[in-house]
Amino acid sequence: MAEYFGSKVEDIFNTMPARFLPQGVAGVDVVIGYDISGEGGGRWTVTIRDATLAVAAVAELPKCSVVLISDPETFVGSALGKIDAAEAFGAGKIKFTGDITAVLNVLPKAFSPFKPVVRAGAIIESMPERFKPEKAEGVNLKIGYDLSGADGGAWTMLIKDGTCTLKNGLDSDCTVTMRMAADVFVGLNTGKIDPAAAFGGGQVKIEGDIMAAGTTAKLFGKFEAAGAQEKKGEELISLKCIPTINQRFATGTHMGKWFAGLKDKRIVGTRCPQCHRVLVPPSEVCAICRVRTDDFVEVGPKATVCQIDTVYYASPDPLSGQVRHTPYAGAYMVFDGGTPYESFAMEINPKDMDRIKPGMKVRPVWNTERSGTFTDLLYFEIDD
Amino acid sequence: MSQLKKSMDECFVQEGKMSLPNQYFAGRVGSKFIIALRDEKKILGVRCPECGLVYCPPREYCDKDLTKLDENWVDLSSEGVITNFTVVNYNDKHLPRKAPFVLALIKVDGADTPLGHIVEGIDPALVQIGMRVKAVFADQTTNTIRDIDHFEPLT
Repeated sequence: MAEYFGSKVEDIFNTMPARFLPQGVAGVDVVIGYDISGEGGGRWTVTIRDATLAVAAVAELPKCSVVLISDPETFVGSALGKIDAAEAFGAGKIKFTGDITAVLNVLPKAFSPFKPVVRAGAIIESMPERFKPEKAEGVNLKIGYDLSGADGGAWTMLIKDGTCTLKNGLDSDCTVTMRMAADVFVGLNTGKIDPAAAFGGGQVKIEGDIMAAGTTAKLFGKFEAAGAQEKKGEELISLKCIPTINQRFATGTHMGKWFAGLKDKRIVGTRCPQCHRVLVPPSEVCAICRVRTDDFVEVGPKATVCQIDTVYYASPDPLSGQVRHTPYAGAYMVFDGGTPYESFAMEINPKDMDRIKPGMKVRPVWNTERSGTFTDLLYFEIDD
Repeated sequence: MSQLKKSMDECFVQEGKMSLPNQYFAGRVGSKFIIALRDEKKILGVRCPECGLVYCPPREYCDKDLTKLDENWVDLSSEGVITNFTVVNYNDKHLPRKAPFVLALIKVDGADTPLGHIVEGIDPALVQIGMRVKAVFADQTTNTIRDIDHFEPLT
């Protein structure tokens, strides 16, 4: 059958069931006739009723809601978007008889776009082009392909001295012969069928040197269907950037005392004048009693661990944008002289991560350079 | 206030900077829009086949009826009208210009929605809603909306 733009008229009808979108045709009841006259043409009816589809090749068209009359080239070309359908209609190359709105409104919602059908022959014939001589040094093979089915055929490929030649027909002295249905061959080459399943499930029969068959894959570049490249060529914009935001952090009265304490290796808190709990770091107000807490007290610096958090997924450090090494762990702890349950959270020494348990005593590890900032206190470690 | 006074001695200010590593994907629709600005110096929009609204900047789905829009591209004019504006009166390094400068919403001819951009070539005090402006394209591409450098008043 004749091909137009690499596709046949019948491909469009044969792929309709797979492209049918039942949710797009609720309440639709039409019979669309197609009269495509010319080489590779024919007559078809497409019946859409109760969200079901029936496609049939017919000798004579029955009574239809609408009949589309065209030639094979225009019909295939417009289905593939190679020919402008509106222009073809204007030029009289596509004609309708009957209720044209049935076609214009129903078809775009009834089917996903037609894509060229990949044929086994096209894949085999592209193999010499996809051949990689540099991978085939010292390889001497004669491979037979025997593909059954409508689009099948038989080919013999000779790989010798870094060349790849293909001929029609099956030689009797092949190193290895692969027999399978043409659609399985297509599925394997387009990644739609899993090779392990196809070989294991007996869909592919190999005669001769099985090991040689296994080596052929690396001798060829990947098959790419016509039209696939266009999609690949679409340029998409993706930008990487690191926006920065200037920040100004004023300590206020109480956190100023806290940072001044860190500089001197002291842990400072405030005691609530009403409930007498100690808040670490110091807070200006007791959130329970809602009174000002101005009674500064020194606690620790040793503490008792209440709970440990191990972090396996780190967010980026907001100050540097770097993602830190994981896992790391932090601990909730109560300072000596502090109030039970009023815990303070701080990172623990990575080397203690496996050993640390609630109830253990920990001590602070100070930065040698301290300037009254949060990096003055590095982490806590087990006090033993 | 007496409490503040006695403890102010240990207050201090820490200057910092927050960095946010970011990857921005313009999407298929956004990419096509930017590429047209960059390669053809042309402003594109998308028309909703359902309600007829023309979006510029384009978007993938219609706001009103959620129709997918990415097939209905329309060429728009590089001239338009200011529908709203603000004068930026402070300097920061993330800002595209030194203060004072004008950020405006501009509805280009043929579009129904406005596009935010810089307006230059006029005293900020004289900018008015309804003023006609035209796009001035950038010499150097950044693959962003700033492939339009700014809009300027039509004389």
